[in-house]
Amino acid sequence: MIKGTGASGGIGIGTVKVIKVQKPVFERRRIREPEKELDKLKKAISGFTAETEKLAAKVEKEAGKKEAEILRGHLLILRDPVLTAEIEKLIRGGECAEAAVEQICNMFISVFSARDDELTKQRAADMEDLKSRLIHHLLGLDVIKLSPLPPGTVICARELTPSMTAGMDKKNVAGFITEKGGETSHCAIIARALEIPAVLGAEGIMSAVKDGQRVILNGDSGEVILSPKAETLRRYVLEKENYDQRKELLKNYRGKETLTADGDRLSVLCNIGNSDDADKVIAGDGEGIGLFRTEFMFMDRDTAPDEQEQFEVYREAALKMAGKPVVIRTLDIGGDKDVSYLEINEEENPFLGQRAIRYCMAHPDILHQQLRAILRASAYGNIKILIPMIADMTELRFVKKMTEKIKKELSEDDIPFDEHIKTGVMIETPSACMIADLLADEADFFSIGTNDLIQYMMAADRGNSDVSYLYSVFKPSVLRAIQHTIQCAVDKGITVEMCGEAAANKLITPLLISFGLEKFSVSPSSVLNIRKEISRYTKPEADKITARVMKMSTAEEIKKYLTRKTGTKE
Amino acid sequence: MVRQKLLVINPEGLHLRPAGIFAQEMDRFECEIFIQHQGSKVNAKSLLSILTACIKCGSEINIECDGIDELDAMNRAIELINSGFEGL
Repeated sequence: MIKGTGASGGIGIGTVKVIKVQKPVFERRRIREPEKELDKLKKAISGFTAETEKLAAKVEKEAGKKEAEILRGHLLILRDPVLTAEIEKLIRGGECAEAAVEQICNMFISVFSARDDELTKQRAADMEDLKSRLIHHLLGLDVIKLSPLPPGTVICARELTPSMTAGMDKKNVAGFITEKGGETSHCAIIARALEIPAVLGAEGIMSAVKDGQRVILNGDSGEVILSPKAETLRRYVLEKENYDQRKELLKNYRGKETLTADGDRLSVLCNIGNSDDADKVIAGDGEGIGLFRTEFMFMDRDTAPDEQEQFEVYREAALKMAGKPVVIRTLDIGGDKDVSYLEINEEENPFLGQRAIRYCMAHPDILHQQLRAILRASAYGNIKILIPMIADMTELRFVKKMTEKIKKELSEDDIPFDEHIKTGVMIETPSACMIADLLADEADFFSIGTNDLIQYMMAADRGNSDVSYLYSVFKPSVLRAIQHTIQCAVDKGITVEMCGEAAANKLITPLLISFGLEKFSVSPSSVLNIRKEISRYTKPEADKITARVMKMSTAEEIKKYLTRKTGTKE
Repeated sequence: MVRQKLLVINPEGLHLRPAGIFAQEMDRFECEIFIQHQGSKVNAKSLLSILTACIKCGSEINIECDGIDELDAMNRAIELINSGFEGL
């Protein structure tokens, strides 16, 4: 089995067609009549332009305007006065047009490839494509001439350029597999737009496959199975049918509001770990960021990110979300998350020790810096502050007092921020749950972190398999804790969201609806699933299921009942 | 010469399409126009030069216009960047 990156979801089953790119061969020669050569370049450019416009129109029709932009981008590049001026300069110096195009394009390719930025790196692939096609035009060769593809073709190539995929008859393409390229490459974008499964960056694929071979690819896991056995094939045919059905269904939930069956408006947001993930939130159709875990920004490095660096990251996320909520959780380290340079004391019981807000109160300079960065970024979008591991009112007051102080500092320095920024608390300790009514008086919102809440409610280490029988969201005590917390928030009229794994657990969706949860925060890939699940229940139906469940005394009983009643799995 | 600090707000940053639009618009002006970003200074009339600067959403850039129509050019640059290239 060969493995690559799953770049466009779904199962592809079909017959291999290997595509090899012919590099244009030309003879580098000195020229004596540059005017003639420049004329040749001009003709090639107009041929290139006509061809690209045709391809772009085709892509636009098949996949959409956004996807056609990449090809139209090639036209924009070619219109760059710097590019043409440089090529012409070489030609005037006696270089033939082909060599001039190659040299100048290569120069930009090496500049783009050397950049750290993923999007800029992709421009190198665009330049390669442009270079090769322009040289083809100069040589008067046909650029792309794909023989017609039979239905069920799986395209295998070292790399697929925009012009190659544009020329294909994609109704007959069952999948793409390439050696090079990743999730954000052009091929991935086109594949996703056309909903064709794709595995990219599958090293070794080109030497392993031959035309006509049967192949299965999984565009989610990145697996490629060559010449599958009959049994495997049957299994995947079934899986493909399931997948395609589910996908069709989920499409009905994209771009829609999250509503219960009787029309209550809820929302599904996303959990992310860095500002780049904001793109995934948009792609997954999340209604905002319900949890931005900032500790990842502090990990795998030697020094802490300073205020400016943090500010830029938070601002980027806020701008990308364009007014949708961005809930930023302050540093949650300690426990199982160690950061070498932060000098976290060695403790006998780190999960009961100085983690999260406790650490931050002991190191107020770190919290001050982070809150200041968050406040500054709040001028650029809808940012909220979330404090982790609250066990006591003094912790919330400490943070609110510091926030007020920073607001004053910023006002004095004329630095913009959101004066009405909201501060919420994570409910993940039994103590916070027990005083939820009091916390609701002083916090602007709650976010229930079920992963830790279960562990602290049950006093069971979630990593310890000997006590794993205790670690379950279906435990009556855990469900009561969640119900109580949500009830306190509802009574006091503050918003309540859930950002733990339980929010994405379809078995408890009806319970959460009945309890009165307003915001579900899940991974970007689960948004549509949960939106669909919420739409299945009316409030009275959810209440009925919940009333039954809350009378049950064991997790096993509850889980069994919910599995039967909801007809879903965890 | 005029100079102005601006914040790039469109989600894709100054990448292919927005950068292309920006370069083409800037090319209409007589004056010299540069973008400064994190130590690099690039020709704002050249799409490829802009791309080499890796300008993301949330990047702060300095626009510099120098020449006879520098004020008009700057106004257009501000308008484009602040609009987030919406509807273009």
